[in-house]
Amino acid sequence: MAAILKMHRWLSLVSLLAIAAPAFAHHSVPVNFDQSKDITITGTLTEAKWINPHSRFRLDVKQDDGTTVEWLVEMGAVNTMRRAGFDIDKFVIGDTVTISGWPGRDRNRTMLLRTAVLKDGTRLTP
Amino acid sequence: MRKISVFLIGLLYCATAAHAQRPDLSGNWILNGGKTTFAEWHLTADGERRFKAYDFKKDDPALKCIGTSWTRVWLNPNVVVRITQGDDFVRLQYEWMDIDRRIPIVDPTASNAKRGNITGMPGLGYSAAWYDGNTLVIDTNNIEPGYVSTMQEWAGLPQSRMMRTIERISLANANLLDIQITHVDPANYRDPLVVNITYPRTTFELMNYGCNPEDASVVEPR
Repeated sequence: MAAILKMHRWLSLVSLLAIAAPAFAHHSVPVNFDQSKDITITGTLTEAKWINPHSRFRLDVKQDDGTTVEWLVEMGAVNTMRRAGFDIDKFVIGDTVTISGWPGRDRNRTMLLRTAVLKDGTRLTP
Repeated sequence: MRKISVFLIGLLYCATAAHAQRPDLSGNWILNGGKTTFAEWHLTADGERRFKAYDFKKDDPALKCIGTSWTRVWLNPNVVVRITQGDDFVRLQYEWMDIDRRIPIVDPTASNAKRGNITGMPGLGYSAAWYDGNTLVIDTNNIEPGYVSTMQEWAGLPQSRMMRTIERISLANANLLDIQITHVDPANYRDPLVVNITYPRTTFELMNYGCNPEDASVVEPR
């Protein structure tokens, strides 16, 4: 029994490590995003789509000149994020969110989420 | 061409169905993003042209929720693959795109062996399977042109209607699958393209994927 439990724990660990690996496959991270650059944006969450093959946010981001532009933030598949324990219920439309990640290649105002900071300071990483 | 034919015949017919040694591949497996290797590929002039012309924003069939090439299907990380083995079939349920692959077990030397396909995904061709000692062999032909991979530096590697794909699946140990995929496609490659992938066993369950083409396409900010 102890051996079975040990095996189960080992498999769980392997599975968690698997989830920790880059989760965004459908659009392929290196093909679609520039991993050599880190960017951070802060804005108001206007849409959160928890879907496969990749989830996404839309954020209204205020620029220095006072105008507002929309950013599209892409993420991994919702199945993967659920398995990783990413707390999707914490994202509320209308809340201010800060997102850090990699910018899209040849696509303006798009990025891949690596870290999200909610208005209460909670930091979430998929 | 002759070299490729000899290779293919060797790959297919060195096999003898060995039911008694059939490996137990049943269970749930997941790609951990770790060990994937593409052997060096040697494209023909036509293959090179197709590879260079690939545009990830519009050519990826996954943008329409369609799987192309078994290599691409196996390469998706962090989604479960469930394997079930029966006496006359093997079933591989891929979470990615909800691909449910039921393949008849056949005698590889028989002509006109029964084959299984995935409705709506012609790039995945028609497959038949058998056991070669401790290895499950899956042979796929009648493949629609498309791409072997749409990911990483392999994005855009082409496949033609001439392609034949042979997957050899075995256990590296009780908790690790070894998958070797050989693509033979003289229209695009001067030598067979060989891909090796390992899949650890997982305790995660298979989940519904529910891909919708409207959501899968490349979306831009408004």
